[in-house]
Amino acid sequence: MPPEPPSNGEYMAAAYIVAALILLGYWVRLWVKARRLAKVGKPIGG
Amino acid sequence: MNARLPAPGDPFRVVRRGLALSAVAFVGLAVVYLIALAYTPVEARQGLAQKIFYIHVPAAWSALLAFSLVGIASLMYLWLHDTRLDRFAAASAEVGVAFSAVMLTSGPIWAKPIWGTWWTWDARLTLTLFLFFLFIGYLSLRAAVHDPAERARFSAVVGILGMLLVPFIHLSVYLFRTLHPQPIVLKPSAPSLPPEMLRTLLVSTVVFTLLYLGLVTTRYGIALADEAQEDARHAT
Amino acid sequence: MPSSVRLSLAIAAKDIRAELRSRTALLSALVFAALVLVVFNFARDPTVIAVSDLAPSVLWVTFALGAMVAMNRAFSVERENSALDGLLLAPVPREALFIGKLLANLAFVGAVELVTLPLFILFFNVSIWPQLPGVLGVTALATVGFVAVGTIFSAMAVRTRFAELMLPVLLLPFMVPPLIGAVQVTSRLLADRPLSEMWGWLRLLAFYDVVFVTLCTLAFTAVVDE
Repeated sequence: MPPEPPSNGEYMAAAYIVAALILLGYWVRLWVKARRLAKVGKPIGG
Repeated sequence: MNARLPAPGDPFRVVRRGLALSAVAFVGLAVVYLIALAYTPVEARQGLAQKIFYIHVPAAWSALLAFSLVGIASLMYLWLHDTRLDRFAAASAEVGVAFSAVMLTSGPIWAKPIWGTWWTWDARLTLTLFLFFLFIGYLSLRAAVHDPAERARFSAVVGILGMLLVPFIHLSVYLFRTLHPQPIVLKPSAPSLPPEMLRTLLVSTVVFTLLYLGLVTTRYGIALADEAQEDARHAT
Repeated sequence: MPSSVRLSLAIAAKDIRAELRSRTALLSALVFAALVLVVFNFARDPTVIAVSDLAPSVLWVTFALGAMVAMNRAFSVERENSALDGLLLAPVPREALFIGKLLANLAFVGAVELVTLPLFILFFNVSIWPQLPGVLGVTALATVGFVAVGTIFSAMAVRTRFAELMLPVLLLPFMVPPLIGAVQVTSRLLADRPLSEMWGWLRLLAFYDVVFVTLCTLAFTAVVDE
């Protein structure tokens, strides 16, 4: 009977969550920046 | 020099395209997460933690891609003096920081259960740390120089020198490790990957590449929009 | 002697003379290096850690930090006197200008190292005399590498707002390969190991020097010209 794989699922979960947070967080930051620029730009350009 | 009138419509179209592409890539990322969890088999000796592989390695690929493109764009900028190259290099560097951050977090989280220690000075983690520092140095320099032309030239020099530093870091770490073999409890990746794992890795790499492209496009568009507004402000 | 070489030597000589007169960069770097050595001594528990284990690292960290202080001050002083701007107006080949600056910085950093080394031998009671030529050789080899990169980066950093912070942030990653090589060779020298064990590292150092001196010389024009 082969040995059970070690139970370390919490590490996998942590890494997956942190990665998603970093990448999504960066995307949100860009989105917010874009919105702010768009609001300022409207009176000048249209 | 740009003598044209600012066109606010254009930069925001680039931004929207970038945001949309990234959003698609994020959906892809969710799919990758699902595949990694449900479809790919669990590695017998390493357990679930081995699945960090499917985000760590593609993140490394994206970070290296971002870095190489900063170097190449820097070289081309010094040759052609096209501000688009400088704008692209800056965007690629910022996105590179994000992917390096993913590497620097997923790496230790992976190392702890597999090797028993949070940090190890192996080639990959060491190089990641250096990439991170080089990106940060590059972006700090950009923030500290006000004149756009000077900023572009200085960043380009750092970008090129940084790109050429990477092989030396790799060589130093390799020479160091062959002299001081570090005990490895478990090999982090099997010598030959079973097809399901390989497939998942490939899909994830494609998704991460798309994510890089989407984020860089967005960042590039934001830089364009920002510059257009600066121009408009100076014109009035 | 070709005119570019004469030009570089003339620029180096001018800078060295200027520094000998004011001595600001040299003195601050020397005091700094001495302080670093003192701190290192008190930072370790002598009953637990033998000097010979740490000695090469202590020496090279001190050299690296002292070099950064010296280079930063050297460029700041020059910036204050706007000396570089005058030179740039003349049709001087930028490569020659860089080599001149590099030679001057090598003289400054070399001077700091030449004073730090005896202090190191004294404070840490290291027997170095039989290996002195080797130590001097590897010091020269490694120093050329990081002073080349340091010279071009300090030329940039001095034009930014936070120059003292900018130089270390940019330079430190570039100092790592020469430092690793230098520490490895130095520790083998102090342990009386045969040359064959150092050859790989020496080759790495030499290769680094060739690549980065060339690159920085070529890139200098992008830093000083519009």
